[in-house]
Amino acid sequence: MSVATDTGYTPPKRGSFLDALAPGGKRAFFLLSVLGVLLIFAFPVFWLVLTSMRPAWGVYYVHRGLEFTLGNYLEVLEQEVVVHAFFNSFVIATLSTFFSLTVTVTSGYMLSRFTGKLANAWFGTIYIFRTIPYITWVLPLYFVTQWWGIFDTYLGLLLPHIAVHICFFSWLMKGFFDGIDPSMESAALIDGCTRWGAFLRVALPSALPGIAALSILCWLWTWNEFLFALILTSHNTPMITVVMAQFVSELGTEWNLMSATAVMAMVPALIVAIFGQKYVVRGLKV
Amino acid sequence: MGTPGPDKAPGKPGKSFALRWLALNEKTRFSLLLLAPSGIMLILFQIVPILIGANASFRDWSLYDPQRTWVGLQHYIYILTDPNFLYLVLPNTLLLMVSSVSIGLVLGLALAHMLNKHFFGHAIVQTVILLPLMVAPVIASMMMRWIFNDQFGVVAAVIGALGFGQIAWLSDRWPSFAIIVFTDVWLWTPWFTILLLAGLRSLPKEPYEAAAIDAASKWRVFTHVTLPMMRPIMAVCIVIRSIDCFRTFDQVWVISGGGPARQTEVFSIYAYTEAFVYLNFGRGTAAAIIGAIIIGTLGWGLYKLLNRFMEVSR
Repeated sequence: MSVATDTGYTPPKRGSFLDALAPGGKRAFFLLSVLGVLLIFAFPVFWLVLTSMRPAWGVYYVHRGLEFTLGNYLEVLEQEVVVHAFFNSFVIATLSTFFSLTVTVTSGYMLSRFTGKLANAWFGTIYIFRTIPYITWVLPLYFVTQWWGIFDTYLGLLLPHIAVHICFFSWLMKGFFDGIDPSMESAALIDGCTRWGAFLRVALPSALPGIAALSILCWLWTWNEFLFALILTSHNTPMITVVMAQFVSELGTEWNLMSATAVMAMVPALIVAIFGQKYVVRGLKV
Repeated sequence: MGTPGPDKAPGKPGKSFALRWLALNEKTRFSLLLLAPSGIMLILFQIVPILIGANASFRDWSLYDPQRTWVGLQHYIYILTDPNFLYLVLPNTLLLMVSSVSIGLVLGLALAHMLNKHFFGHAIVQTVILLPLMVAPVIASMMMRWIFNDQFGVVAAVIGALGFGQIAWLSDRWPSFAIIVFTDVWLWTPWFTILLLAGLRSLPKEPYEAAAIDAASKWRVFTHVTLPMMRPIMAVCIVIRSIDCFRTFDQVWVISGGGPARQTEVFSIYAYTEAFVYLNFGRGTAAAIIGAIIIGTLGWGLYKLLNRFMEVSR
Protein backbone atom coordinates (compact mmCIF):
# COMPACT_ATOMS: atom_id res chain seq x y z
CA MET A 1 0.00 0.00 0.00
CA SER A 2 2.65 2.46 1.05
CA VAL A 3 4.85 1.38 -1.83
CA ALA A 4 2.26 2.45 -4.35
CA THR A 5 1.93 5.96 -2.93
CA ASP A 6 5.67 6.43 -2.54
CA THR A 7 6.34 6.12 -6.25
CA GLY A 8 4.18 9.21 -6.82
CA TYR A 9 2.79 7.60 -9.94
CA THR A 10 -0.58 8.71 -11.13
CA PRO A 11 -2.24 6.80 -13.94
CA PRO A 12 -2.64 8.85 -17.12
CA LYS A 13 -6.16 10.10 -17.71
CA ARG A 14 -8.04 9.01 -20.78
CA GLY A 15 -8.41 11.34 -23.70
CA SER A 16 -6.18 14.15 -22.54
CA PHE A 17 -4.29 14.83 -25.73
CA LEU A 18 -2.44 17.81 -24.30
CA ASP A 19 -1.10 15.87 -21.34
CA ALA A 20 0.49 13.46 -23.78
CA LEU A 21 2.27 16.38 -25.45
CA ALA A 22 3.60 17.94 -22.29
CA PRO A 23 2.99 17.26 -18.60
CA GLY A 24 0.69 19.94 -17.20
CA GLY A 25 -0.02 21.09 -20.73
CA LYS A 26 -3.73 21.08 -20.15
CA ARG A 27 -3.51 23.54 -17.31
CA ALA A 28 -1.20 25.75 -19.35
CA PHE A 29 -3.61 25.59 -22.27
CA PHE A 30 -6.49 26.62 -20.01
CA LEU A 31 -4.51 29.54 -18.60
CA LEU A 32 -3.49 30.62 -22.07
CA SER A 33 -7.06 30.58 -23.30
CA VAL A 34 -8.15 32.62 -20.28
CA LEU A 35 -5.46 35.14 -21.08
CA GLY A 36 -6.49 35.17 -24.73
CA VAL A 37 -10.10 35.87 -23.78
CA LEU A 38 -9.03 38.68 -21.48
CA LEU A 39 -6.90 40.15 -24.25
CA ILE A 40 -9.60 40.05 -26.92
CA PHE A 41 -12.36 41.47 -24.73
CA ALA A 42 -10.41 43.97 -22.67
CA PHE A 43 -7.78 45.20 -25.10
CA PRO A 44 -9.99 47.46 -27.29
CA VAL A 45 -11.32 49.21 -24.18
CA PHE A 46 -7.87 49.49 -22.67
CA TRP A 47 -6.49 50.92 -25.89
CA LEU A 48 -9.28 53.48 -26.08
CA VAL A 49 -8.58 54.66 -22.53
CA LEU A 50 -4.87 54.86 -23.31
CA THR A 51 -5.47 56.86 -26.50
CA SER A 52 -7.74 59.26 -24.66
CA MET A 53 -4.89 60.21 -22.34
CA ARG A 54 -2.31 60.88 -25.03
CA PRO A 55 -1.42 64.37 -26.26
CA ALA A 56 -2.60 65.14 -29.80
CA TRP A 57 0.81 64.63 -31.38
CA GLY A 58 1.45 61.46 -29.42
CA VAL A 59 -1.60 59.55 -30.65
CA TYR A 60 0.24 58.48 -33.76
CA TYR A 61 3.13 57.04 -31.77
CA VAL A 62 1.24 55.35 -28.96
CA HIS A 63 3.53 52.37 -29.06
CA ARG A 64 6.53 54.63 -28.43
CA GLY A 65 5.67 57.75 -26.41
CA LEU A 66 5.14 57.78 -22.68
CA GLU A 67 3.54 61.16 -22.10
CA PHE A 68 0.06 61.21 -20.68
CA THR A 69 -2.39 64.04 -20.10
CA LEU A 70 -5.97 64.68 -19.07
CA GLY A 71 -6.14 67.73 -21.33
CA ASN A 72 -8.20 65.91 -23.94
CA TYR A 73 -11.09 65.53 -21.51
CA LEU A 74 -11.03 69.23 -20.65
CA GLU A 75 -10.83 70.17 -24.32
CA VAL A 76 -13.82 67.99 -25.19
CA LEU A 77 -15.88 69.30 -22.29
CA GLU A 78 -15.32 72.86 -23.51
CA GLN A 79 -17.42 72.05 -26.56
CA GLU A 80 -20.96 73.02 -25.80
CA VAL A 81 -22.52 70.39 -28.03
CA VAL A 82 -20.80 67.54 -26.17
CA VAL A 83 -22.01 68.69 -22.76
CA HIS A 84 -25.47 69.30 -24.15
CA ALA A 85 -25.49 65.82 -25.73
CA PHE A 86 -24.43 64.14 -22.48
CA PHE A 87 -27.22 65.94 -20.64
CA ASN A 88 -29.81 65.01 -23.28
CA SER A 89 -28.77 61.37 -23.36
CA PHE A 90 -28.99 61.24 -19.57
CA VAL A 91 -32.48 62.75 -19.51
CA ILE A 92 -33.83 60.56 -22.30
CA ALA A 93 -32.31 57.38 -20.86
CA THR A 94 -33.70 58.06 -17.39
CA LEU A 95 -37.19 59.06 -18.49
CA SER A 96 -37.47 56.29 -21.04
CA THR A 97 -36.41 53.67 -18.49
CA PHE A 98 -39.06 54.85 -16.06
CA PHE A 99 -41.88 54.94 -18.60
CA SER A 100 -40.89 51.75 -20.46
CA LEU A 101 -41.00 49.77 -17.26
CA THR A 102 -44.26 51.35 -16.08
CA VAL A 103 -45.95 50.60 -19.38
CA THR A 104 -44.70 47.04 -19.79
CA VAL A 105 -45.02 45.85 -16.20
CA THR A 106 -48.82 45.83 -16.52
CA SER A 107 -48.90 44.09 -19.88
CA GLY A 108 -46.37 41.51 -18.68
CA TYR A 109 -48.52 40.85 -15.61
CA MET A 110 -51.53 40.45 -17.85
CA LEU A 111 -49.66 37.95 -20.05
CA SER A 112 -48.56 35.96 -17.03
CA ARG A 113 -51.86 35.82 -15.12
CA PHE A 114 -54.51 35.69 -17.82
CA THR A 115 -55.22 33.13 -20.50
CA GLY A 116 -57.69 33.35 -23.33
CA LYS A 117 -58.13 35.12 -26.61
CA LEU A 118 -56.92 38.53 -25.48
CA ALA A 119 -53.70 37.23 -23.94
CA ASN A 120 -53.01 35.00 -26.94
CA ALA A 121 -53.59 37.83 -29.36
CA TRP A 122 -51.27 40.12 -27.41
CA PHE A 123 -48.61 37.45 -27.22
CA GLY A 124 -48.77 36.91 -30.98
CA THR A 125 -48.61 40.66 -31.57
CA ILE A 126 -45.49 41.20 -29.53
CA TYR A 127 -43.86 38.19 -31.15
CA ILE A 128 -44.50 39.61 -34.63
CA PHE A 129 -43.44 43.16 -33.75
CA ARG A 130 -40.27 41.86 -32.13
CA THR A 131 -39.09 40.60 -35.53
CA ILE A 132 -39.87 43.79 -37.49
CA PRO A 133 -36.60 45.73 -38.03
CA TYR A 134 -36.46 49.14 -36.35
CA ILE A 135 -35.82 50.94 -39.60
CA THR A 136 -39.23 49.88 -40.94
CA TRP A 137 -41.09 51.99 -38.42
CA VAL A 138 -38.48 54.62 -37.54
CA LEU A 139 -38.14 55.79 -41.14
CA PRO A 140 -41.82 56.84 -41.35
CA LEU A 141 -41.59 58.24 -37.80
CA TYR A 142 -39.35 60.94 -39.28
CA PHE A 143 -42.49 62.35 -40.93
CA VAL A 144 -44.97 61.33 -38.27
CA THR A 145 -43.09 63.22 -35.54
CA GLN A 146 -42.85 66.26 -37.82
CA TRP A 147 -46.61 66.19 -38.43
CA TRP A 148 -47.25 65.92 -34.71
CA GLY A 149 -44.79 68.74 -34.09
CA ILE A 150 -42.50 66.71 -31.83
CA PHE A 151 -39.57 66.16 -34.21
CA ASP A 152 -36.19 66.99 -32.64
CA THR A 153 -37.67 67.39 -29.14
CA TYR A 154 -37.40 65.28 -25.99
CA LEU A 155 -40.92 63.99 -26.51
CA GLY A 156 -40.26 62.99 -30.11
CA LEU A 157 -37.35 60.83 -29.02
CA LEU A 158 -38.77 59.62 -25.72
CA LEU A 159 -42.02 58.15 -27.07
CA PRO A 160 -40.38 55.94 -29.75
CA HIS A 161 -37.86 54.83 -27.13
CA ILE A 162 -40.73 53.67 -24.93
CA ALA A 163 -42.41 51.96 -27.88
CA VAL A 164 -39.30 50.05 -28.91
CA HIS A 165 -39.09 48.20 -25.61
CA ILE A 166 -42.74 47.16 -25.38
CA CYS A 167 -42.45 43.78 -27.11
CA PHE A 168 -39.27 42.51 -25.50
CA PHE A 169 -39.97 43.86 -22.01
CA SER A 170 -43.55 42.57 -21.91
CA TRP A 171 -42.11 39.17 -22.61
CA LEU A 172 -39.41 39.50 -19.93
CA MET A 173 -41.92 40.87 -17.41
CA LYS A 174 -44.13 37.85 -18.10
CA GLY A 175 -41.13 35.73 -17.17
CA PHE A 176 -40.64 37.61 -13.89
CA PHE A 177 -44.28 37.18 -12.90
CA ASP A 178 -44.32 33.53 -14.00
CA GLY A 179 -41.71 32.91 -11.32
CA ILE A 180 -44.01 34.21 -8.60
CA ASP A 181 -46.64 31.97 -7.04
CA PRO A 182 -50.10 33.39 -7.89
CA SER A 183 -51.70 31.85 -4.82
CA MET A 184 -50.61 34.85 -2.76
CA GLU A 185 -52.67 37.11 -4.99
CA SER A 186 -55.66 34.78 -4.78
CA ALA A 187 -55.38 34.93 -1.00
CA ALA A 188 -55.25 38.72 -1.14
CA LEU A 189 -58.34 38.77 -3.38
CA ILE A 190 -60.25 36.53 -0.94
CA ASP A 191 -59.24 38.82 1.90
CA GLY A 192 -60.96 41.68 0.10
CA CYS A 193 -58.13 43.20 -1.84
CA THR A 194 -59.04 44.62 -5.24
CA ARG A 195 -57.36 43.24 -8.36
CA TRP A 196 -55.27 46.38 -8.60
CA GLY A 197 -54.37 46.02 -4.95
CA ALA A 198 -53.34 42.39 -5.46
CA PHE A 199 -51.20 43.41 -8.40
CA LEU A 200 -49.59 46.50 -6.87
CA ARG A 201 -49.20 45.32 -3.27
CA VAL A 202 -48.60 41.57 -3.64
CA ALA A 203 -47.23 40.67 -7.07
CA LEU A 204 -45.24 43.81 -7.87
CA PRO A 205 -43.00 43.82 -4.76
CA SER A 206 -42.00 40.19 -5.45
CA ALA A 207 -41.08 41.06 -9.03
CA LEU A 208 -38.99 44.08 -8.04
CA PRO A 209 -35.54 42.37 -8.18
CA GLY A 210 -36.09 41.40 -11.80
CA ILE A 211 -37.50 44.81 -12.65
CA ALA A 212 -34.54 46.56 -11.03
CA ALA A 213 -32.16 44.45 -13.11
CA LEU A 214 -34.10 45.26 -16.24
CA SER A 215 -34.10 48.97 -15.44
CA ILE A 216 -30.29 49.02 -15.40
CA LEU A 217 -30.14 47.32 -18.79
CA CYS A 218 -32.88 49.52 -20.21
CA TRP A 219 -31.03 52.66 -19.12
CA LEU A 220 -27.83 51.46 -20.77
CA TRP A 221 -29.55 50.38 -23.97
CA THR A 222 -31.22 53.77 -24.32
CA TRP A 223 -27.99 55.58 -23.52
CA ASN A 224 -26.24 53.52 -26.21
CA GLU A 225 -28.99 53.78 -28.82
CA PHE A 226 -27.99 55.29 -32.15
CA LEU A 227 -30.48 54.75 -34.99
CA PHE A 228 -33.45 56.57 -33.41
CA ALA A 229 -31.28 59.48 -32.37
CA LEU A 230 -29.80 59.69 -35.87
CA ILE A 231 -33.17 59.85 -37.62
CA LEU A 232 -35.37 61.63 -35.08
CA THR A 233 -33.08 64.43 -33.86
CA SER A 234 -31.32 67.35 -35.41
CA HIS A 235 -29.47 70.37 -33.96
CA ASN A 236 -31.84 71.11 -31.07
CA THR A 237 -31.54 67.77 -29.30
CA PRO A 238 -28.07 66.33 -29.91
CA MET A 239 -27.53 62.86 -28.44
CA ILE A 240 -24.13 61.59 -27.42
CA THR A 241 -23.99 58.61 -29.80
CA VAL A 242 -24.81 60.78 -32.80
CA VAL A 243 -22.26 63.41 -31.76
CA MET A 244 -19.58 60.70 -31.50
CA ALA A 245 -20.48 59.22 -34.89
CA GLN A 246 -20.21 62.72 -36.39
CA PHE A 247 -16.76 63.07 -34.85
CA VAL A 248 -15.64 59.99 -36.75
CA SER A 249 -16.53 61.51 -40.09
CA GLU A 250 -15.87 65.18 -39.36
CA LEU A 251 -12.69 65.28 -37.31
CA GLY A 252 -11.53 61.90 -38.56
CA THR A 253 -7.97 62.46 -37.42
CA GLU A 254 -8.32 63.75 -33.86
CA TRP A 255 -8.43 60.36 -32.25
CA ASN A 256 -7.36 61.65 -28.85
CA LEU A 257 -10.46 63.87 -28.56
CA MET A 258 -12.76 61.19 -29.93
CA SER A 259 -11.40 58.63 -27.50
CA ALA A 260 -11.85 61.01 -24.58
CA THR A 261 -15.52 61.51 -25.49
CA ALA A 262 -16.02 57.78 -25.96
CA VAL A 263 -14.43 56.98 -22.60
CA MET A 264 -16.71 59.45 -20.84
CA ALA A 265 -19.72 57.93 -22.62
CA MET A 266 -18.54 54.51 -21.49
CA VAL A 267 -18.39 55.37 -17.77
CA PRO A 268 -21.93 54.14 -16.98
CA ALA A 269 -21.18 50.84 -18.74
CA LEU A 270 -17.97 50.43 -16.74
CA ILE A 271 -19.73 51.15 -13.47
CA VAL A 272 -22.46 48.63 -14.19
CA ALA A 273 -20.02 45.98 -15.40
CA ILE A 274 -18.00 46.26 -12.20
CA PHE A 275 -20.64 46.85 -9.53
CA GLY A 276 -23.94 45.72 -11.03
CA GLN A 277 -22.91 42.38 -12.53
CA LYS A 278 -25.31 40.25 -10.52
CA TYR A 279 -28.30 42.40 -11.45
CA VAL A 280 -27.42 42.40 -15.12
CA VAL A 281 -27.03 38.64 -15.26
CA ARG A 282 -30.39 38.25 -13.58
CA GLY A 283 -32.09 40.71 -15.93
CA LEU A 284 -30.82 38.96 -19.04
CA LYS A 285 -32.49 35.63 -18.33
CA VAL A 286 -34.73 35.03 -21.31
CA MET B 1 -71.89 51.70 -0.51
CA GLY B 2 -74.62 52.11 2.07
CA THR B 3 -75.38 48.84 3.82
CA PRO B 4 -74.27 45.74 1.97
CA GLY B 5 -75.05 43.52 4.95
CA PRO B 6 -78.81 42.77 4.49
CA ASP B 7 -78.85 41.74 0.83
CA LYS B 8 -75.74 39.60 1.17
CA ALA B 9 -77.34 36.92 3.30
CA PRO B 10 -80.21 35.37 1.22
CA GLY B 11 -80.45 33.89 -2.28
CA LYS B 12 -77.20 31.99 -2.43
CA PRO B 13 -77.29 30.20 -5.84
CA GLY B 14 -78.56 33.21 -7.84
CA LYS B 15 -76.12 35.47 -6.12
CA SER B 16 -73.10 33.32 -6.81
CA PHE B 17 -73.99 33.30 -10.49
CA ALA B 18 -74.35 37.07 -10.50
CA LEU B 19 -71.09 37.42 -8.64
CA ARG B 20 -69.33 35.13 -11.05
CA TRP B 21 -70.66 37.08 -14.00
CA LEU B 22 -69.62 40.33 -12.42
CA ALA B 23 -66.21 38.91 -11.61
CA LEU B 24 -65.70 37.74 -15.17
CA ASN B 25 -66.63 41.08 -16.55
CA GLU B 26 -64.43 42.86 -14.10
CA LYS B 27 -61.61 40.48 -14.94
CA THR B 28 -61.85 41.30 -18.63
CA ARG B 29 -62.02 44.97 -17.80
CA PHE B 30 -58.96 44.61 -15.59
CA SER B 31 -56.96 42.75 -18.23
CA LEU B 32 -57.87 45.36 -20.84
CA LEU B 33 -56.74 48.12 -18.51
CA LEU B 34 -53.45 46.32 -17.92
CA LEU B 35 -52.95 46.05 -21.64
CA ALA B 36 -53.99 49.58 -22.58
CA PRO B 37 -50.75 51.56 -22.04
CA SER B 38 -48.59 49.15 -24.04
CA GLY B 39 -51.25 48.67 -26.68
CA ILE B 40 -51.70 52.40 -27.24
CA MET B 41 -47.95 53.01 -27.46
CA LEU B 42 -47.58 50.10 -29.89
CA ILE B 43 -50.39 51.38 -32.12
CA LEU B 44 -49.22 55.00 -32.13
CA PHE B 45 -45.50 54.45 -32.59
CA GLN B 46 -45.19 51.18 -34.47
CA ILE B 47 -48.42 50.25 -36.25
CA VAL B 48 -49.33 53.75 -37.44
CA PRO B 49 -45.80 54.50 -38.73
CA ILE B 50 -45.65 51.13 -40.50
CA LEU B 51 -48.98 51.83 -42.23
CA ILE B 52 -47.82 55.32 -43.22
CA GLY B 53 -44.56 53.84 -44.49
CA ALA B 54 -46.44 51.18 -46.46
CA ASN B 55 -48.54 53.91 -48.01
CA ALA B 56 -45.47 56.01 -48.83
CA SER B 57 -43.75 53.05 -50.45
CA PHE B 58 -46.33 53.14 -53.25
CA ARG B 59 -45.87 56.85 -53.87
CA ASP B 60 -43.44 59.14 -55.61
CA TRP B 61 -42.18 60.68 -52.39
CA SER B 62 -38.81 62.38 -52.67
CA LEU B 63 -37.64 64.46 -49.74
CA TYR B 64 -36.84 67.55 -51.80
CA ASP B 65 -40.04 67.52 -53.89
CA PRO B 66 -42.75 65.32 -52.36
CA GLN B 67 -45.35 64.84 -55.14
CA ARG B 68 -47.00 61.95 -53.28
CA THR B 69 -48.53 60.66 -56.50
CA TRP B 70 -49.39 56.98 -56.66
CA VAL B 71 -46.77 55.01 -58.58
CA GLY B 72 -47.85 51.49 -57.69
CA LEU B 73 -45.13 48.87 -57.38
CA GLN B 74 -42.45 50.95 -59.08
CA HIS B 75 -40.20 51.23 -55.99
CA TYR B 76 -40.53 47.54 -55.20
CA ILE B 77 -39.64 46.57 -58.77
CA TYR B 78 -36.67 48.95 -58.71
CA ILE B 79 -35.29 47.46 -55.49
CA LEU B 80 -35.87 43.85 -56.45
CA THR B 81 -34.00 44.40 -59.71
CA ASP B 82 -31.30 46.65 -58.23
CA PRO B 83 -27.97 44.77 -58.58
CA ASN B 84 -26.72 46.58 -55.45
CA PHE B 85 -29.54 45.13 -53.42
CA LEU B 86 -29.45 41.66 -54.96
CA TYR B 87 -25.71 41.09 -55.17
CA LEU B 88 -24.32 43.20 -52.32
CA VAL B 89 -26.91 44.13 -49.70
CA LEU B 90 -28.72 40.81 -49.39
CA PRO B 91 -25.59 38.59 -49.40
CA ASN B 92 -23.87 40.97 -46.95
CA THR B 93 -26.80 40.95 -44.56
CA LEU B 94 -27.18 37.18 -44.63
CA LEU B 95 -23.43 36.59 -44.40
CA LEU B 96 -23.17 38.92 -41.41
CA MET B 97 -26.08 37.13 -39.79
CA VAL B 98 -24.74 33.62 -40.36
CA SER B 99 -21.13 34.38 -39.45
CA SER B 100 -21.86 36.54 -36.42
CA VAL B 101 -24.44 34.16 -34.96
CA SER B 102 -22.41 30.99 -35.56
CA ILE B 103 -19.11 32.41 -34.29
CA GLY B 104 -20.89 34.01 -31.33
CA LEU B 105 -22.61 30.74 -30.46
CA VAL B 106 -19.44 28.62 -30.61
CA LEU B 107 -17.37 31.17 -28.69
CA GLY B 108 -20.19 31.74 -26.21
CA LEU B 109 -20.44 28.02 -25.55
CA ALA B 110 -16.68 27.78 -25.00
CA LEU B 111 -16.66 30.79 -22.67
CA ALA B 112 -19.68 29.49 -20.78
CA HIS B 113 -17.81 26.24 -20.21
CA MET B 114 -14.78 28.18 -19.02
CA LEU B 115 -16.83 30.28 -16.59
CA ASN B 116 -18.67 27.21 -15.34
CA LYS B 117 -15.42 26.10 -13.67
CA HIS B 118 -13.94 27.76 -10.65
CA PHE B 119 -10.49 29.16 -11.09
CA PHE B 120 -8.36 31.98 -9.81
CA GLY B 121 -9.47 35.31 -11.27
CA HIS B 122 -12.95 34.05 -12.17
CA ALA B 123 -14.59 37.34 -11.13
CA ILE B 124 -12.22 39.45 -13.22
CA VAL B 125 -12.73 37.31 -16.31
CA GLN B 126 -16.49 37.48 -15.89
CA THR B 127 -16.41 41.27 -15.52
CA VAL B 128 -14.28 41.62 -18.63
CA ILE B 129 -16.52 39.31 -20.64
CA LEU B 130 -19.61 41.20 -19.51
CA LEU B 131 -18.22 44.60 -20.49
CA PRO B 132 -18.85 44.53 -24.29
CA LEU B 133 -22.51 43.87 -23.60
CA MET B 134 -22.82 47.30 -22.07
CA VAL B 135 -20.57 49.29 -24.36
CA ALA B 136 -22.46 51.23 -27.04
CA PRO B 137 -22.08 49.68 -30.52
CA VAL B 138 -21.07 53.14 -31.72
CA ILE B 139 -18.19 53.27 -29.23
CA ALA B 140 -17.12 49.69 -29.97
CA SER B 141 -17.07 50.49 -33.68
CA MET B 142 -14.96 53.60 -33.07
CA MET B 143 -12.48 51.52 -31.07
CA MET B 144 -12.21 48.95 -33.82
CA ARG B 145 -11.78 51.67 -36.44
CA TRP B 146 -8.93 53.11 -34.45
CA ILE B 147 -7.31 49.76 -33.74
CA PHE B 148 -7.51 48.77 -37.41
CA ASN B 149 -6.46 52.22 -38.66
CA ASP B 150 -4.38 51.78 -41.83
CA GLN B 151 -1.46 53.96 -40.74
CA PHE B 152 -1.54 54.50 -37.00
CA GLY B 153 -3.56 51.57 -35.73
CA VAL B 154 -2.08 49.12 -33.27
CA VAL B 155 -2.82 46.16 -35.54
CA ALA B 156 -0.92 47.83 -38.38
CA ALA B 157 1.98 48.43 -35.97
CA VAL B 158 2.03 44.79 -34.86
CA ILE B 159 1.83 43.47 -38.42
CA GLY B 160 4.58 45.90 -39.44
CA ALA B 161 6.79 44.83 -36.53
CA LEU B 162 6.35 41.19 -37.53
CA GLY B 163 7.58 42.13 -40.98
CA PHE B 164 4.42 41.51 -43.01
CA GLY B 165 2.97 43.84 -45.59
CA GLN B 166 0.18 46.21 -44.61
CA ILE B 167 -3.46 45.48 -45.24
CA ALA B 168 -5.69 48.37 -46.31
CA TRP B 169 -8.29 47.44 -43.71
CA LEU B 170 -11.01 49.92 -44.51
CA SER B 171 -10.54 50.50 -48.22
CA ASP B 172 -11.28 46.98 -49.41
CA ARG B 173 -14.53 45.10 -49.21
CA TRP B 174 -13.56 41.91 -47.40
CA PRO B 175 -11.21 43.38 -44.77
CA SER B 176 -13.87 45.97 -43.88
CA PHE B 177 -16.48 43.26 -43.73
CA ALA B 178 -14.24 41.13 -41.52
CA ILE B 179 -13.86 44.05 -39.10
CA ILE B 180 -17.64 44.49 -39.01
CA VAL B 181 -18.11 40.79 -38.24
CA PHE B 182 -15.37 40.93 -35.61
CA THR B 183 -16.98 43.95 -33.93
CA ASP B 184 -20.37 42.26 -33.95
CA VAL B 185 -18.89 39.09 -32.45
CA TRP B 186 -17.06 41.17 -29.84
CA LEU B 187 -20.29 42.92 -28.90
CA TRP B 188 -22.57 39.89 -28.77
CA THR B 189 -20.49 36.89 -27.63
CA PRO B 190 -20.99 38.00 -23.99
CA TRP B 191 -24.74 37.79 -24.46
CA PHE B 192 -24.44 34.19 -25.68
CA THR B 193 -22.05 33.45 -22.82
CA ILE B 194 -24.38 34.71 -20.09
CA LEU B 195 -27.43 32.89 -21.43
CA LEU B 196 -25.59 29.64 -22.12
CA LEU B 197 -23.88 29.78 -18.72
CA ALA B 198 -27.28 30.10 -17.07
CA GLY B 199 -28.37 27.12 -19.17
CA LEU B 200 -25.34 25.05 -18.18
CA ARG B 201 -25.89 25.76 -14.50
CA SER B 202 -29.51 24.64 -14.66
CA LEU B 203 -28.74 21.22 -16.21
CA PRO B 204 -29.51 18.16 -14.08
CA LYS B 205 -26.53 16.31 -12.53
CA GLU B 206 -27.66 12.69 -13.04
CA PRO B 207 -26.72 12.27 -16.75
CA TYR B 208 -23.19 13.42 -15.90
CA GLU B 209 -22.90 10.93 -13.07
CA ALA B 210 -24.07 8.18 -15.41
CA ALA B 211 -21.50 9.29 -18.01
CA ALA B 212 -18.77 9.31 -15.35
CA ILE B 213 -19.63 5.72 -14.39
CA ASP B 214 -19.35 4.77 -18.06
CA ALA B 215 -15.93 6.49 -18.12
CA ALA B 216 -16.92 8.58 -21.11
CA SER B 217 -14.28 11.02 -22.35
CA LYS B 218 -14.86 14.75 -21.82
CA TRP B 219 -15.51 15.35 -25.47
CA ARG B 220 -18.10 12.57 -25.63
CA VAL B 221 -19.79 13.89 -22.51
CA PHE B 222 -19.96 17.28 -24.19
CA THR B 223 -21.38 16.04 -27.49
CA HIS B 224 -23.67 13.35 -26.11
CA VAL B 225 -24.83 14.80 -22.80
CA THR B 226 -24.35 18.56 -22.66
CA LEU B 227 -25.24 19.53 -26.23
CA PRO B 228 -28.53 17.62 -26.46
CA MET B 229 -29.67 19.06 -23.14
CA MET B 230 -28.61 22.57 -24.15
CA ARG B 231 -30.52 22.49 -27.44
CA PRO B 232 -33.63 24.42 -26.32
CA ILE B 233 -31.69 27.38 -24.92
CA MET B 234 -29.35 27.35 -27.93
CA ALA B 235 -32.33 27.42 -30.26
CA VAL B 236 -33.79 30.43 -28.45
CA CYS B 237 -30.41 32.19 -28.64
CA ILE B 238 -30.08 31.53 -32.36
CA VAL B 239 -33.57 32.78 -33.23
CA ILE B 240 -33.37 35.96 -31.14
CA ARG B 241 -29.85 36.81 -32.24
CA SER B 242 -30.53 36.15 -35.94
CA ILE B 243 -33.53 38.46 -35.89
CA ASP B 244 -31.53 41.18 -34.13
CA CYS B 245 -28.52 40.72 -36.36
CA PHE B 246 -30.60 41.24 -39.48
CA ARG B 247 -31.27 44.86 -38.53
CA THR B 248 -27.63 45.72 -37.67
CA PHE B 249 -27.02 49.40 -38.35
CA ASP B 250 -24.67 51.11 -35.89
CA GLN B 251 -21.56 49.01 -36.45
CA VAL B 252 -21.66 49.21 -40.23
CA TRP B 253 -22.54 52.90 -40.19
CA VAL B 254 -19.57 53.88 -38.03
CA ILE B 255 -16.97 51.40 -39.31
CA SER B 256 -17.44 51.60 -43.06
CA GLY B 257 -20.58 53.68 -43.66
CA GLY B 258 -21.53 50.94 -46.12
CA GLY B 259 -18.42 51.69 -48.15
CA PRO B 260 -16.10 51.39 -49.95
CA ALA B 261 -18.50 52.19 -52.79
CA ARG B 262 -21.56 50.65 -51.03
CA GLN B 263 -19.81 47.27 -50.93
CA THR B 264 -20.43 46.52 -47.25
CA GLU B 265 -23.97 47.88 -47.08
CA VAL B 266 -26.45 45.83 -45.11
CA PHE B 267 -30.22 46.05 -45.28
CA SER B 268 -30.82 48.80 -42.67
CA ILE B 269 -28.08 50.96 -44.18
CA TYR B 270 -29.55 50.46 -47.65
CA ALA B 271 -32.99 51.64 -46.56
CA TYR B 272 -31.51 54.61 -44.67
CA THR B 273 -29.26 55.56 -47.59
CA GLU B 274 -32.07 55.43 -50.13
CA ALA B 275 -34.25 57.61 -47.90
CA PHE B 276 -31.83 60.18 -46.49
CA VAL B 277 -28.79 60.20 -48.80
CA TYR B 278 -30.55 59.77 -52.14
CA LEU B 279 -33.56 61.57 -50.62
CA ASN B 280 -36.06 59.09 -52.03
CA PHE B 281 -38.32 58.46 -49.06
CA GLY B 282 -40.73 56.24 -51.02
CA ARG B 283 -37.94 53.93 -52.11
CA GLY B 284 -36.43 53.85 -48.62
CA THR B 285 -39.71 52.76 -47.03
CA ALA B 286 -40.22 50.17 -49.78
CA ALA B 287 -36.77 48.73 -48.97
CA ALA B 288 -37.61 48.74 -45.25
CA ILE B 289 -40.82 46.84 -45.89
CA ILE B 290 -39.11 44.30 -48.14
CA GLY B 291 -36.59 43.75 -45.34
CA ALA B 292 -39.35 43.29 -42.77
CA ILE B 293 -41.02 40.70 -44.99
CA ILE B 294 -37.73 38.84 -45.51
CA ILE B 295 -36.84 38.66 -41.83
CA GLY B 296 -40.45 37.89 -40.90
CA THR B 297 -40.45 34.83 -43.17
CA LEU B 298 -36.93 33.89 -42.21
CA GLY B 299 -37.60 34.25 -38.48
CA TRP B 300 -40.79 32.22 -38.73
CA GLY B 301 -39.07 29.50 -40.77
CA LEU B 302 -36.14 29.38 -38.39
CA TYR B 303 -38.47 29.12 -35.42
CA LYS B 304 -40.39 26.23 -37.03
CA LEU B 305 -37.19 24.47 -38.07
CA LEU B 306 -35.63 24.68 -34.63
CA ASN B 307 -38.88 23.60 -32.98
CA ARG B 308 -38.97 20.52 -35.18
CA PHE B 309 -35.28 19.86 -34.66
CA MET B 310 -35.80 20.03 -30.91
CA GLU B 311 -38.75 17.66 -31.00
CA VAL B 312 -36.70 15.10 -32.94
CA SER B 313 -33.92 15.30 -30.37
CA ARG B 314 -36.26 14.79 -27.46
